[in-house]
Parts: sequence; C-alpha cells; structure tokens
Amino acid sequence: MLADGAARQHLLDEHPQAAQVSVGLPLRANLSVLENICIVPQYRQNLGYEDAADQAWGLLGLLGRTDCAFKRDPDLDHEERFIAKLLRAVVLTPPIILIDRPGMLLPDTHYPPFLERTLDSLEGRFAQCWIVDYQWNEPLYAPR
Amino acid sequence: MPFLASLLTRRGAATLNWLRGWNGLTRFGAGAVVEALTPSFYNSATRSVVQKQIYFTAWQILPGYGLFAALLSFVIIQIVVSKARDFGLSDYALEMTMRVLVLELLPLITALFVALRSGAAINTEVALMNINNEIKALREAGVDPMRFEFVPRVIGGMISVVSLISFSSIVALVLAYLVVYGWQLSGFADFTRVIAKVFVPLAMFGLILKALAFGLAVTVIPISAGLNAPQKLFFAPISVLQGMVRLFFVLMIIEVASLALQYI
Repeated sequence: MLADGAARQHLLDEHPQAAQVSVGLPLRANLSVLENICIVPQYRQNLGYEDAADQAWGLLGLLGRTDCAFKRDPDLDHEERFIAKLLRAVVLTPPIILIDRPGMLLPDTHYPPFLERTLDSLEGRFAQCWIVDYQWNEPLYAPR
Repeated sequence: MPFLASLLTRRGAATLNWLRGWNGLTRFGAGAVVEALTPSFYNSATRSVVQKQIYFTAWQILPGYGLFAALLSFVIIQIVVSKARDFGLSDYALEMTMRVLVLELLPLITALFVALRSGAAINTEVALMNINNEIKALREAGVDPMRFEFVPRVIGGMISVVSLISFSSIVALVLAYLVVYGWQLSGFADFTRVIAKVFVPLAMFGLILKALAFGLAVTVIPISAGLNAPQKLFFAPISVLQGMVRLFFVLMIIEVASLALQYI
C-alpha cells in the first residue's frame, strides 16, 4: 500500500488488530532476540519458557538467523532487528501483519527483494501481509 | 501584580504537577498490590521476571551486604555493650542492641541500600522504556506491561527486601550473642529470654509490616516515577532524581511512623 503520512497514520489507526512491524515499536532493550519473540506466546498462550523458546528458535531457524538469537537490541544490525520485530509479530500466526515504512527499518538494504524473500520463508505463518510505504517509493517495488 | 500572577501561576502549576505525581504513584501502587494478590496474574513470563528481580536485588549482593551488615552490627553491638557496662547497665545491653539494630537500624539501612542500588536502576530502566516506546511496543504485541514488567518487579523487590532484612537481622543476633556471651552455650537461656521479651507478637507484626512497606516503596516509587517521565530523553535523569527524592522521604516517613507507633 502506498500512502502519504496522513493516509498511513489513518490506515494504522483503522487496523488495530494487525500485528505491526514498525520503527516506532522497538524491541525490549534488555531482552535477547529469542526472549523478545518468546515473551509473546509465554504471555498470550501461557506457554512455559522452554516451549516458547523452541517456537521462537524454530522461527529464527526458518530464516537462517539463529546466530542473532542471544543478541540484545543495541548489538543488532538493521536486518537482524527487523527479523526480530517481524518474528515477534508473526509468532502467534496473526491474520494480518503490517510492515510500516520498511525503508526506515532497513535503511542499508534494498528492501523490496529482501522482504519478498523473508516473507516467502514464513509462508503459512500469517494470512496477509500489508506493506505500507510512501508513494514516492513506488519505483522500488516490482509491478504485481 | 503581573509578577504576582505569574508567580502564583508557576507555583500552582508546580503544585498540580506534584499532586499529579503522588496521584499516579498511589494509583500505580494500589493497582500493583491488587494484581499481585490475583492468582491468575502469574504465568511463566511473570515468574521469570520475579526470579530475575530477586536475583539482582538480593542474591547478587548477598555476600557483600552480609559482610557490611556484620561489620556494622559488630561495631554497634560493641559500642552499646561497652557503654552500657560503663554506666552499670549491662543487663539492658542485649535488649537495647536488639531493639536498635534489628527492629530499627537494619531494616532502614537495608531499604536505603536497595533503594540506592536497585531502585535507581529500576527508575532509570522504566524511564528509558517509556521514552523509547518499549512499553507501547509490548502493549501492541498483546503483552500487558503492568503484568509482565512492573508488578513482577514489585513482588521481587518486596521479597528481596524482606529476605535481606531477615538475613541481616539473623547475622546481628548471632553477633550479639557472641559479643555478650562469647563462644559458649551457657548464655543461651538468657539470650532466648531477651529475644522473647523484645520480639513480642506486636513488635514482630510491626517489623514485618515495616519490611513489606519498605519493599513496596523501593519498587513502586521508582517505577511510577519512570512511567510519569515525559517521553523526551533529557527527562530521564530528572525522573530518577524526582523518584529518588520521593523514595527517600517515603522511607523516612515509614520509619518515623513506625517509631511513633511503637514508642509514643
């Protein structure tokens, strides 16, 4: 979805049920990537730490990112931080994931192909993924 | 007149801000107590935070704090015992030691120590969490920060303060026995008699209540101060300053109230 600033905010406000991946929703700084992902099933599904950590580890494995499992936020690069936020959103298999302004989350990456690869690896973990980006970034995305 | 109006406006705004701070603190404290007493509140995530809090607040500092408590207790016991002997009041030395050290000094020093070490850290962490939007991010992920982040710290902090007070009190009692009777068991009957005289049910109830109040204060006040910080980075040190000053006064009020209730 391509929108200007006001339309983007309107869209976010209209879909509070969507699991968001956004620069405005940081990871907990004193928790590792694994803990940031597994607190969601621990808390929402009342899972024990071991089960929740297995689930989080499995997701990191799907993306080949288990190397960053024990790093904390300040030690992560932009891609690792994005992956952690994405998996935190995906872990409960929500109906909609909303990736808000990927350019701000992945400033050093040519992000449309990166997003496509990453989301393909997580197929079946969510029903829909919406990417909200500014209209002026339209040329970055391949026509569908 | 404009100067007076401006002054009154500024003072009024400051007073309202101060009252808002206390209001937030009271609401948060009451909410935390209610949550902590609700069995459905606990899950593996909250238990894990409680354990971590106890580890950082009590277990990690236990050897150093135990040594400090032993040293302080030893010096005070020596002073009380030798001065009591000088004034011919040796019979009261042990009782006075127990009353001063175990009922008053050690609980207050423990609370101040935990406030300086963990309270300041909790205040800073919560203020930074608030400023960096981490609390909002948790909420968006469906994790209630009150349940996951704050109340477990309050519970962990209370358990830690009560445990440290109990530990230092036991150290002080053992040292008091050794200073007064030396390495022999003959004084044990007298010692237990003095203990029974000092630690009557009402005094024990007061001590437990005071320890719990200290434990509640050293966590609730820093968390509340951190949560009330405006979301601007330069407010983080101001939030810690305000939280620590408020905490100091509350600890002193608890101590003075406890003394007044017991002795006046």
